[in-house]
Amino acid sequence: MQIEIPKDNWQGSVNTVTLGATPEEGGTRTRTVTIGGQQTLPFLHFEQTPPNRPVIALEITAARPGDWSPVLLDAWGDAIDDPGNWAGACESAGADLIVLSLGLTEADGRSADPESAVRATKSTLGGTGLPLIVLGPGQAELDNDFVIAVADATKGERLVLGLCEDSNYRTIVAAAMANDHLVVGRTPMDVNLAKQLNILITDMGLPLDRIVMDPTTGALGYGIEYGYSVMERLRIAALQGDAMTQLPLLVNPGAEAWKTKEAKVGEGVPDSWGKWEERASNWETVTAVALIEAGADIVVLRHPDSVTRVRNALDELMAVG
Amino acid sequence: MYIIGENIHIISDKVKTALVDRDASFFQDLAVAQVEAGAQALDLNLGPRKKDGEDVFPWMVQTVEAVVDVPLSLDSTNIRGIEAGLKAVTKAQPMINSTSAEEVRLEEVPLLAKRYGAKLVALTMGKSGIPVSADERVNIAIEKLIPRMIEIDFPVTDLIIDPLVLTVSGCQEYCPELIEAVRTIQVAWDPPPAISVGLSNVSNAVPFENRSLINRVYCVMLMGAGLQMMIANPFDEDLKEVVRIVEERDGSTPLGRLFVAISDRVAAMEQPAKEDVDFNDPDQVKVWKTVQILLNKVIYADSYLQTRSSQGGE
Repeated sequence: MQIEIPKDNWQGSVNTVTLGATPEEGGTRTRTVTIGGQQTLPFLHFEQTPPNRPVIALEITAARPGDWSPVLLDAWGDAIDDPGNWAGACESAGADLIVLSLGLTEADGRSADPESAVRATKSTLGGTGLPLIVLGPGQAELDNDFVIAVADATKGERLVLGLCEDSNYRTIVAAAMANDHLVVGRTPMDVNLAKQLNILITDMGLPLDRIVMDPTTGALGYGIEYGYSVMERLRIAALQGDAMTQLPLLVNPGAEAWKTKEAKVGEGVPDSWGKWEERASNWETVTAVALIEAGADIVVLRHPDSVTRVRNALDELMAVG
Repeated sequence: MYIIGENIHIISDKVKTALVDRDASFFQDLAVAQVEAGAQALDLNLGPRKKDGEDVFPWMVQTVEAVVDVPLSLDSTNIRGIEAGLKAVTKAQPMINSTSAEEVRLEEVPLLAKRYGAKLVALTMGKSGIPVSADERVNIAIEKLIPRMIEIDFPVTDLIIDPLVLTVSGCQEYCPELIEAVRTIQVAWDPPPAISVGLSNVSNAVPFENRSLINRVYCVMLMGAGLQMMIANPFDEDLKEVVRIVEERDGSTPLGRLFVAISDRVAAMEQPAKEDVDFNDPDQVKVWKTVQILLNKVIYADSYLQTRSSQGGE
């Protein structure tokens, strides 16, 4: 018997966004990354061949992170002490993108400042040819100071700058507009707030093909279902034609998964939980794959093994038939 | 449309202060002004008043009844306070606002209403909160609320079901379901109970400048579904104007024609349609965008009226 598979015919599509710029395009990247363009819910190959793959980013920090799991520190070894080396190691591990998180302090304990932020960014750019996302330390005033300096010093690279939040987005958006960069906006797991921030950012005149949104998510076992629902709802609205929800989605399964007890704790847990390193990377992987199923265009990870695992899952999801 | 005036409400700072000061003339002025503005009953929401409910409610009833004749709605969770208030009523048949389908409330509050011959507002809300779907809310009415009235021989015609309006800013999926609940409850029992909603709740947490428009458009949609009673702000002249337009089917202005069309579409169980709208008229576009968020077709955002319909990005 012939069974006809019902197909949705959506009016809208996800914006196509290109990160990074090659020398011909005014930057220094050896390759660019293009995401978005979907006209269907994720991986419905019978409706549309996905125009772009979801991509995997690895997160690095400007100075050795004080609060990362020893499992992560072991995995990266000495590379962690230099953002350029670390970024190079990420590229070797198979990342598509690098996320550089600027912190409040430098390696020697001094307070970070705009100059050190620029140094870390340039070092990262020197260590890898991959496109780069640069995030401020998470305090409005410092975020603005650091991001302005980084944006000026890297004009034309098409970096993604952040974080834009509803209480602090104007300066970052202006810096991106003036220097041919992109921005990422984050809202706390709420479709209304996500859409509102997109409206505010585009109202400043930044084109939609230079914005990605981070709707925030939880880790597996820690609220992932709420984040999943928000992403799903935003994506459905995008496909229905709501321009202010058609931005590609960036999420942070790495940061979320490495907060969980299952990833963080190596001792005093039941033997049945299995080997710590294995379990931690699995937690990150499963979180990331679930979010890719929800529609994530960029997943930000922390462990090199997770990159391989997520990529394997992606290969299967992208295979037709 | 039967409007129960909402303005004597403890959430207002002025009301709070006046209550502390027992400022009778403040409440009398507010009562008279609401009635003059068209309120046919007055809600008296004084909060739980755990400590002094039994003093405050009778005082408020006496104060307000000294200047107006309309029914008073005693709005509190404090049963003893409400009872004290009911004892003080000398004029119109009062209302109790409210009971829910929670066991303890449903046990006690209807008996109180019966004892004092009051009407009773009953919320379609059980122990586990407010269901999203219209069907579940209607079920609470016909499986819990109405049976309890019949059990104690309380006239269903004195029952007012409130299927609970929630805000479009955060509870958007509830908005279209409420419209269907209003529609269905009217045919769920014979004789049907009355239905009332707290209209302004639909725009809780919405920026002030957009509240009135959202309230207005939702009111038109609910009137299409058959709503005839609501707790609302009788000083909202724009709201009263759309009520008049829909009631009188006044299509003498383009916007009026759109409101009548929206109400007719809802009445016919259809979606308001693009062909009803003149997209060259900015006011009609605003109404259209508001319909879209209230039907949960477009995700609400505080700046939903500012969105460009194009793909953006010049």
